Amino acid sequence: MRTAMIVLATASVLSAQTSDFGKAYSFDERKPKTQVERTVDKLMPSIVKIHGASGLATIKAYATGIVVSDRGHIITLDQILLQSDRTRVVLYDGSVHDAILYPADEKLGVRILKISPEDVDGKLQALWPPVAKNAKYRNGQFVVSLGNCFRLAEFSEKVSATFGVVCGRANTALRYRMADVKYDSDIILTDACNNPGHYGGGLFTLDGRWIGLNMRLLDSKETNTMLSAAIPSRDLLPYLEERVNGEKREIVEVKVVPVWTGITLFEQAGRKSPPAYVERVKRKSPGRELGLRIDDLIVRIDDFSIRNCIEFRSVLKKYKPNDKVKVTWKRGTRVMSGEMTLAEEPKK
Amino acid sequence: MLLRELDNTHGVLRSRTLIMMLLAVLASAVMQDPIDAVAASEARRVAVIARSAKAVCSVMSMDSPGGGSGVIFDPAGFVLTNYHVVGKPDKGYKLKSPPEPPDEVVDAWRKKTNGSQEEQGKFVAQWQAEWKAEHQPSGASHYKNKKIGLPDGNLYEGVVLGIDPGSDLAVIRLLPKEEGQTWPYCELGDSDALLVGETVFAMGNPFLLATDFTPTVTFGIVSGTHRYQEGGGNRMLVYPDCIQVDAPVNPGNSGGPLFNEAGEVIGINGRISIGDRGRVNVGVGFAIAANQIKNFLGDLVAGRHTEHGTLDMSAWFMNSRDGKTRKRGVFVQQTFADSVVAKAGVGLGDEIIRFNGIEVRSANQLATLVGVLPAKTWVTLRYRPQQEEGGFGEERQITVKLTTLDTGSSRDGTGDAARLGSRIDRRIATQQIVGAWIKSDEKNVAVQWTRRSPNETKLVTISDGERLRIESGQHIMVRLGPDSGFAKADGETRDMDQGERERVRRELACNPLLWPGAEIPARLEHALLVGGVHVHGAAAYRFAIPGDGDCEAWFFLDGTPAGFAFRDPVRRARVEWYVRGTKLRVVVDGELERGWSSGMRATGKAEDHWFRRDA
Repeated sequence: MRTAMIVLATASVLSAQTSDFGKAYSFDERKPKTQVERTVDKLMPSIVKIHGASGLATIKAYATGIVVSDRGHIITLDQILLQSDRTRVVLYDGSVHDAILYPADEKLGVRILKISPEDVDGKLQALWPPVAKNAKYRNGQFVVSLGNCFRLAEFSEKVSATFGVVCGRANTALRYRMADVKYDSDIILTDACNNPGHYGGGLFTLDGRWIGLNMRLLDSKETNTMLSAAIPSRDLLPYLEERVNGEKREIVEVKVVPVWTGITLFEQAGRKSPPAYVERVKRKSPGRELGLRIDDLIVRIDDFSIRNCIEFRSVLKKYKPNDKVKVTWKRGTRVMSGEMTLAEEPKK
Repeated sequence: MLLRELDNTHGVLRSRTLIMMLLAVLASAVMQDPIDAVAASEARRVAVIARSAKAVCSVMSMDSPGGGSGVIFDPAGFVLTNYHVVGKPDKGYKLKSPPEPPDEVVDAWRKKTNGSQEEQGKFVAQWQAEWKAEHQPSGASHYKNKKIGLPDGNLYEGVVLGIDPGSDLAVIRLLPKEEGQTWPYCELGDSDALLVGETVFAMGNPFLLATDFTPTVTFGIVSGTHRYQEGGGNRMLVYPDCIQVDAPVNPGNSGGPLFNEAGEVIGINGRISIGDRGRVNVGVGFAIAANQIKNFLGDLVAGRHTEHGTLDMSAWFMNSRDGKTRKRGVFVQQTFADSVVAKAGVGLGDEIIRFNGIEVRSANQLATLVGVLPAKTWVTLRYRPQQEEGGFGEERQITVKLTTLDTGSSRDGTGDAARLGSRIDRRIATQQIVGAWIKSDEKNVAVQWTRRSPNETKLVTISDGERLRIESGQHIMVRLGPDSGFAKADGETRDMDQGERERVRRELACNPLLWPGAEIPARLEHALLVGGVHVHGAAAYRFAIPGDGDCEAWFFLDGTPAGFAFRDPVRRARVEWYVRGTKLRVVVDGELERGWSSGMRATGKAEDHWFRRDA
């Protein structure tokens, strides 16, 4: 009986601590009733506001993150604002913590931050593990996106929630400004609104499963359209396991052999990379076999549109010798296409 | 035997079938087909939208191409919209001069008095002055009437009544095309009950798409509540307590309603955050919360230019103030030396604990709590003073009157304290407000209400409708009728003097706590709405009672008495009584008189000796 009472007492103290952490929001609120309300309410304590080095021009100095361990690990999109000694994390209860930066994952374009769990009142509510089977989603599925867009929430105020559906899955080949997005695999497209500051927040299904990490808006100045997108949480697993759980990731060293086309483009030194006009095609080269001539304008390689010389080179980096690619080019007013087998650069 | 067995089997079979059928029914009830659930929820949504869309209107002015939206919140045609939709008052707009009195009126007067030409001129001037008071608003600046298109396909004219440039609100009254016309309307809901994730609809006329005025409906969720959005530009349209939604809101949606799932107006859409692409929706819209609107409703409907209140102080949220503890709190960061809080003793670095009884947990929350209140509201602030030797002293509470926030729009010449709607507008408003209250069945009773003064003497008032007894210590005043009554003081009974007689009349005329509930509409029959007032944390209407003495009766929005005010000829001061439950605040000529409290209000049978001179 005595033991039971002690246990009870401890339990109540513990729960008091957690409820204190949850009692962060500035205004008293009613209990959630609908599924969306319940999900948002449950997830909010796991979302943090991130403030960093002041942004440049359109790059904001604030973002969002997701708590991934009760030891203080937080995942967010790797951004300029994340500078060591200048990155602070604001938890759901409004408390401010200095964060240590872990190395970013270059391929994913995400980064882990770490705060000291001893400085947190109560237990951090981690969204870990985002197991692979939980990360499943379907087109048309309802989703909620959480993040601190436009820095509307400060301290203990709740971050913003937006609602929508999964619009589709797309390869980043469709993206416009390649330099903005490091992640290079299939992404989740959604119409749940994403805005500056929302980046690094989470995309969740209505039953609260974490399916994606909000990316920067994919935008096209030409069509004046913007797309909200997220990195599938499943793809974050190896990085999280390595950085949070300390599991060694098998690094497979692949010897990269650059491909060779024998095509020299017309390039001038200058700020802007010009369109990919062919200046010269070497004899006995894949380019020559394809039938490319001087002044042809290369516009497409497979699914990637080529708008300038830089994109021509960066797209080719995705391939290895002997890969077959479909090249589309303009000659005068005609659009032509053909298959080219990439080669290895001949030894001199 | 065989037959019986068969019969039995049949019985078993039958009961089994029954059970199976029952189970099937149960199962279908429990495991409702998700498609059915979606269809049912969709049908509900469609019904709510169909109902509420009828009250959503387009607000336009005839001389500019733009336009906004609005929503009717009262069947008599009162419309809520944004201030930036009605715009600034028309410069140099002159009100129409009064017409000549109709011939039959002049003829009737001539028949009655047989007056001279000169006297007739005076009569006409008087008639015209009366006409002006009845038909024209007061104030320095005026609006041309707006054009308001409704989904019924009609274009109505509307008079701009009250404006709230400080946080972007305006009220318009539709002019009926035929007498007694009413309109479909939507009630204001409780915006404080909103939760992030709750389903909402925005309606309005974005990009003026609908030329037949049927509103565009957009759907979304509440993305955030109680957001504080600073004012931008010279006009300073601060949104101190807004609702953030991801339902698309675009130019032209301004002034339109935000509905909850039940079809109640929980906000007025007026602002969006934009990305780099110009003024179009990016999924971040802001609506002015309905509960904030309620705080200004009295002033807005009465046709006033409302002003927002301020503590003349800014606070900030700090974490671990001294670096050692993990204490968090809201501390005074800046204040003016002559601000109301500084005068009341609040200094830099003091910790703010509560505002109007609500625990303050963030600096934005304090800004929100203050920002939704009108100027001249009495508020309480609980704080702990910072001490020189470090740490904080005992908690203290002060009661101060909010000063007027200097918004750009107050400064740009539109600030207009004299602005008040025409008597016609305010009469309709008064009828509508009083008519919507729940009818009480409290009648034919005597009412007793006791107040306790700062020096612990009781102020007892008893009334049975016509008669009133006021007992303050040894001083007793009794009114028996318009011309009769008596007073007792220093052990002697005498007739009341002029001041006492007027004092008792005024109290009876405007103290709603002395009125039996069922008599309230009759007592307010000739009263006119003059504005709003905030009483102990709740919004109330002020009704002016005709007659001398500046008498006003105050009622909360639901119709319960909130207090009263009049010029007290005995004290020779204007006295305001703010009453809510046992809380009583007495303000004499603008100064707070501390230490008053209110006793319960009791009803019963009148006892004759209360009103007997020889008793």
